[in-house]
Amino acid sequence: MTGTGRACRAALLAALPGLLPGPAAAADGGCGPRPEVRHRLEATSARHRVVFVPQPAPLAPGRHFGLDITVCPRGGASLPLALRVDADMPAHRHGMNYRPTVRALGDGRYRADGLLLHMPGRWRFSFELSADGRLDRLSHEVDVE
Amino acid sequence: MKARIARRLAGLLAVGLLGAGLLAAAAAPEAPPSPLTPTERARILAHGPWPPPRALDAGNALAGRGEAVALGQQLFFDPRLSPDGRLACASCHAPALAFTDGRVRSMGRAELDRNAPSLWNAVHARWWDWDGAADSLWSQALRPLTDARELATSGAHLRTVVEADAALACRWRQATGRPPPADDEAMLVHTAKLLGAFVGSLVSARTPFDDFRDAVERGDAAAMARYPVDARRGLQLFVGRARCHLCHAGPTFSNGEFADIGAGFFLRPGVVDPGRHRGIQRLQASRHSLLSAHADDPGEAATKTRHVQLQHRNFGEFKVPSLRNAAATAPYLHDGRLATLADVVRHYDQIDLDRLHADGERILEPLGLSVGERADLLAFLQSLEDPLARRWQPAPPAPCRQVPDRQ
Repeated sequence: MTGTGRACRAALLAALPGLLPGPAAAADGGCGPRPEVRHRLEATSARHRVVFVPQPAPLAPGRHFGLDITVCPRGGASLPLALRVDADMPAHRHGMNYRPTVRALGDGRYRADGLLLHMPGRWRFSFELSADGRLDRLSHEVDVE
Repeated sequence: MKARIARRLAGLLAVGLLGAGLLAAAAAPEAPPSPLTPTERARILAHGPWPPPRALDAGNALAGRGEAVALGQQLFFDPRLSPDGRLACASCHAPALAFTDGRVRSMGRAELDRNAPSLWNAVHARWWDWDGAADSLWSQALRPLTDARELATSGAHLRTVVEADAALACRWRQATGRPPPADDEAMLVHTAKLLGAFVGSLVSARTPFDDFRDAVERGDAAAMARYPVDARRGLQLFVGRARCHLCHAGPTFSNGEFADIGAGFFLRPGVVDPGRHRGIQRLQASRHSLLSAHADDPGEAATKTRHVQLQHRNFGEFKVPSLRNAAATAPYLHDGRLATLADVVRHYDQIDLDRLHADGERILEPLGLSVGERADLLAFLQSLEDPLARRWQPAPPAPCRQVPDRQ
C-alpha cells in the first residue's frame, strides 16, 4: 500500500456488540447472504470471511453507494472489535475521494456508507479487522465499468 | 545528349508517378473505421443516453419551479444586482459563448484568478467552482454575488433593487410565495437559489455523438455510418489507448471529481492556487453547504458533503470539466492557459510527467499520437457540441400577476 493509499484508506471504527460468532455465520458454514444472491462479493483470510453486497447494486462508477457487510470468524478467531472499510485503484495509485463511515449492526453485520468509485476500472475493496489483539487485512478486487 | 534525354525522361516519369500518387491518395476513400470491440462498445454506451434523467439543484426548494426559473433568468442578466450597476452574472457567462466569457481569466472589477466555466449542464455536476468549494448551484452563486472583485453585492442592496421595481417585486412574490426577506443573509440565499433554479434549467440538446451512441446501442449500422469517420476514430482513441474516458466519464464526459494534469498552479509569481485542497477546506467551513440550515431538505445529495475527505494529493487538483460543448468554450483549463482544443489535445499528448504531483495518481502518460490521431481526437471533441449551444436566447419575462403570500 502506497503512502497515498494509506492516506486514502480512512474509515471510521465501528464498535463490536459481541465477541463470539453470531447468526451471521449460517449453520451450513455459509456467511451472510447465500452465494446465489446477486452482486454478493467476498474477501477471505485465514481468520475471517467478509461478505459484502453493494447497495444500490450493481457497482457503477460515479455514484455513492453503501455496503451491507457480514463478518464471519474462521479458525477459532473472534468477531472484530473494529472494522475499517476502504477502496482504491492500485494500478492508478489512488484511493477514493470520500471517507466511508461504518456502523455495527450486531451479530457480525455492518453497514458502510459514503463510498464512491470515481473511475471505471479495477478497484480493490479493503477491510481491516481488529480482533484478538491483531489486525486482519482482507481485500477483494472487482472491475467496475 | 542521350544521357540528358534519359535524365529528363526519368524526371518526367518521377513527376508523373508522384502526381499519380497524389491523385490516387486524394481519390482514395477515407480509411474505414475499425469495428467496435465489445469493450469499446460498452465504454461508448456509458457516455449516454442524453439527455440524462432530470436533475435539480440540491437543497433548493425553488429548483424546477417555473416562476423561480424565470425570475432567476431575469436576475442573471440584471446588472442592478451589483451596487454600481456594472456587472451581472451574464457578464462572465454570455449565452453566445456557451455561457463563458471567452477570456483567459474572467474580468470582474479586476482580473479574476480563473477561467469562467460554461454553465451548460452544470446541474449534472457534483461540485461547483474549479476547486469544488460549493456543493450546490445556489451555494456556488453566493460567491460571485458577494466577492468584492465580482458583483460585490449584499442582501440589503438586493432587497432595495427588488422592492424598488414593482414588476420584479411581483415576480419575487410569485416565485417564492413571500416578499423579499428582511434578513440580509436570507435575501442573499433566496437570490442565489433563484439563480440556481435558472442555471439548473440549462441542459444542452443532443449532439452528433449522441446520435452515434444511440445507433451503436440499437445496432443501427446505417445511422452509425452518418457519424464522421474521423470523429469515430477519435472516439475509439478516447475510450481506448488515450484513456480519456477514465476522468471524462459518463453522459456529461466528466466524473465530477478533480485531477492534477500538470497545468501548474501559480496564479502569479509567488501566489499559488491550491485548487481542490483549498476547495474542500472552504466547503467544510461554509455556512451555506448542504449540511447547513440554509439547505432545503437535501436528502441523499448531502452524502458527498458528509463524506468528502481532504487529502494531500488534492493540492493542485482542479475540476474535471464536462466536454459537452467544449468546442464553444475556449480558452481551456482552470486558468485559461490553453487557447484552443488542439492545444488541449497536444497538452495530453506530450504531457510532462515531472509537472505532476509527486505522490499523486498515476494515470496520465505521454500518448505519442500522430498528427492524424490528434486531428481525429479533435474531430470527436467537436462532435460533442450541441448546435444550439451558442444560440440560446433568454425568454422575455411574462407579465406578473400578484398572488397572495404563502403562510
